[in-house]
Amino acid sequence: MAADMRLPRVRKTLSVSESASHRRDLVVPGDIITSDTGFMRGHGTYVDDDKLTASVAGEVQRVDKLICVRPLKTRFNGEVGDVVVGRITEVQQKRWKVETNSRLDSVLLLSSVNLPGGELRRRSAEDELTMREYLQEGDLISAEVQSVFSDGALSLHTRSLKYGKLGQGVLVQLSPSLVKRQKTHFHNLPCGASVILGNNGFVWLYPTPGQQEEEAGGFYTSLEPVSLADREVISRLRNCLLALAAHKVLLFDTSLLYCYESSLQHQVKDILKPEVMEEIVMLTQQKLLEQEG
Amino acid sequence: MKDTPLSNCERDFILKAIEEKKRLDGRQTYDFRRIKITFGTDYGCCFVDLGKTRVMAQVSCELVAPKESRPNEGIMFFNIELSPMASPAFEQGRQSELSVKLNRQLERCLRNSKCIDTESLCVVAGEKVWQIRVDVSMLNNDGNLMDAASVAAITALCHFRRPDVGIQGDEVTVYSPEERDPIPLSIYHMPISISFSFFQQGTFLLVDPCEREERVMDGLLMIAMNKHREICSIQSSGGIMLLKEQVMRCSKIAAVKVSEITELISKALLNDRTARKAGGRCGFAESMPQERITALKTDETLMETSDVTERANDIVEKAGAPPQTVPSPLVPAPGVGQVSQGQQNTWGLQEEDEDDDDDDDEQNGKETKMETEPQEEEKGAGDVVEISDSEEEEVVILTSETSGQAKNADSSSHQKRAAASKRRPKK
Amino acid sequence: MAGLELLSDQGYRLDGRKATELRKVQARMGVFAQADGSAYLEQGNTRALAVVYGPHEMRGSRSRTLHDRAAINCQYSMATFSTAERKRRPHGDRKSTEMSLHLKQTFEAAIMTQLYPRSQIDIYVKILQSDGGNYSVCVNAATLAVIDAGIPMRDYVCACSVGFVDETPLADLCYAEESVSSLSVALLPRGGQIALLQMDARLHQDHLEALMEAAMTACKGVSKVLDEVVRQHLQEAAVLNVCP
Repeated sequence: MAADMRLPRVRKTLSVSESASHRRDLVVPGDIITSDTGFMRGHGTYVDDDKLTASVAGEVQRVDKLICVRPLKTRFNGEVGDVVVGRITEVQQKRWKVETNSRLDSVLLLSSVNLPGGELRRRSAEDELTMREYLQEGDLISAEVQSVFSDGALSLHTRSLKYGKLGQGVLVQLSPSLVKRQKTHFHNLPCGASVILGNNGFVWLYPTPGQQEEEAGGFYTSLEPVSLADREVISRLRNCLLALAAHKVLLFDTSLLYCYESSLQHQVKDILKPEVMEEIVMLTQQKLLEQEG
Repeated sequence: MKDTPLSNCERDFILKAIEEKKRLDGRQTYDFRRIKITFGTDYGCCFVDLGKTRVMAQVSCELVAPKESRPNEGIMFFNIELSPMASPAFEQGRQSELSVKLNRQLERCLRNSKCIDTESLCVVAGEKVWQIRVDVSMLNNDGNLMDAASVAAITALCHFRRPDVGIQGDEVTVYSPEERDPIPLSIYHMPISISFSFFQQGTFLLVDPCEREERVMDGLLMIAMNKHREICSIQSSGGIMLLKEQVMRCSKIAAVKVSEITELISKALLNDRTARKAGGRCGFAESMPQERITALKTDETLMETSDVTERANDIVEKAGAPPQTVPSPLVPAPGVGQVSQGQQNTWGLQEEDEDDDDDDDEQNGKETKMETEPQEEEKGAGDVVEISDSEEEEVVILTSETSGQAKNADSSSHQKRAAASKRRPKK
Repeated sequence: MAGLELLSDQGYRLDGRKATELRKVQARMGVFAQADGSAYLEQGNTRALAVVYGPHEMRGSRSRTLHDRAAINCQYSMATFSTAERKRRPHGDRKSTEMSLHLKQTFEAAIMTQLYPRSQIDIYVKILQSDGGNYSVCVNAATLAVIDAGIPMRDYVCACSVGFVDETPLADLCYAEESVSSLSVALLPRGGQIALLQMDARLHQDHLEALMEAAMTACKGVSKVLDEVVRQHLQEAAVLNVCP
């Protein structure tokens, strides 16, 4: 079996000419943003002696009178309406604790899930006892943020047929700041797979389901074997995601699709090589610019 | 056992008091608590009391092989034990953060400052050296364990005598204390640690915090110095931010305190030495104070008596006619009575005879005046027996045959006078 | 240690530096993809790796959750190959525990923990090569890692060790110089606030002020270098398409 070895060499920084056109205001912790007291302070800043100072390293965003600093990399800060993909960590009384890459584990209340079979009734004590049959520790779910608790923990709900337990597929964990906010996060890609781009950076790739399982209510996971062609598509998509993430490209369905198309000439496992990654990402960026311009 | 958390009102109270420059035990900001040093019967055993914080240090020695990197130096080993005796929060055996912190600070304070000449502890270079072991046990935790431990450790080291060693050629003889007098360790200087606690983000500073103050403090600065004004170790702990000026100020205060404490230690050592020479009793048991009750003392309270007369008049006038009484009890002997329900007053007040005298007495000013007394004595002269529903005890004034007895005590109370005025004594 | 002249007559130290010169600092942020924040820092021959996880839900003992702020958990360890003699016990001994406590104390002062109640921030630092100034290098590396993780801090935390030889303060000590005398200071440069002060050696009180001044100047020098590293990293890692 051939093994691939490479020696360490000096990393060359990805020189992107576009960055010169975007003159961003980059600050580091302790930098004074302004001494004007007329501004409201947002996330990433604090007031010290009437001076607005940055507390994280990132770029300054100014919206009217609100100044906030967005760090490059941060844990997921959920807002109402975000779609997340998470993993169940605990089964507690009347709720599940879901790990969503945010600063506190999110909460999925028993009253926020659909009962199997789609019934509409009050949750009883029996439902509490059979919670583990619906969702266990280690299960992956897709859900939407219903509300945010005062300490920052998110309250999730799966009260729709498109949310629920996830079956066969591949999970890719990335940084939340790379996922673009869009109208919908569920995409059926034309290449033959579907993707859920969770706002919390967790991306779920799965084979496009043949027909909708209406009566399951999101808890039925199909364990039918997936065809080889579908698996290849999913693997290629996963490697493309990793390539895009390594070069800090914003992720949305179009960028993923362009990347997939650019990678078709290489083998799936070659995509992870640094020089191939660079090539593919360059092509993707070109295509994106063409589309914009 | 988990420490009970400090209640919020206690915390607020202590912080507020500190803002007003008041401490719980009435000390000033830079005052230490009373330090008391006593020694045990063995050499090298010492007890230190810092207020209520009590610490014991014991030094022992042993011949061991030296470290490879330092073949002709002795070994110093320090160990601080936080025994559950000191505080229920300390658990036996578990190395908590506090114990690590104290151990490391003591090591840095005493070992890195090279206060002991380790080369003099060498017996045979490369083979045998003395290992001096200092064990400090906390006996009672009332705050500021570090200072107490450092004083105890250095005092114990100064007090300690190691066995004398004789070398003849290749033979090494260790003489027991009976054969040859043990010799003291050679100590260059005495590092003492002083702890400063900071409150309200460094605005307020206190020296020698007690346990309550320690719980509310933001952070601690420990400076170890010796009397030659050499700083042996500085350590800041807790999440406080310091300014350079604060550190400089603390070091100046520490210099003053250290010289005081060093003097105290030298005095204590000297006393102990003279006591031992004189053959006097020394030891732990002697150092415990005896608790004796020597006197019963009551406090005097001053009373405001300017408007008492009017008040008394009002009360008396509003009071109804004094109820008639039950027949008087048996009086077995003059001056003897019974104090019980319905019996006569046995305090031995003779009203009619002493009214005039009392009036004179009362001119002296301390007691309450009852000028209405003579009037009251006329009331209630009847012999009719009334059994009233009142639950009040009937107070009967007992008078003896001999009227010359002045049974009137100095501190007669208002009640007695009132009682006296209610009843006409009957024979 | 006779014969080792820590400061020559011409004012040169053992490695050829002047008294107030710092060692060469090289740093990189974002070395690990798995962790929330990571950094690698070299100061002369001392090398350290710092990794930050968090803030995340409290794992382990739930009883240690603080209701109003984040709990910081630090662990300091030295690689067994980091010192001249192989280290038997890389962590768990008293010195490592003490260092962990000091790191925790330093970062508790700088990180704005009130923003993350009931969560936990883990900071792990490992010394890969030790040549004096262990604590300072750890603090500097951990600062970069915390900035990389996007955790808000009041200011950089820079640390440096200084020593006193022949009436001259020496900045940024190496191992040989450290055994004589050393004062470590962790500083927040903009406000001049000292987060941690630690000294082990005998020093006369009159020299304390000069030594502390030298330490603070050295820390400010270190902060300039760290600043450059962070700004460079920001430029490189800026996202190409800005989110609306």
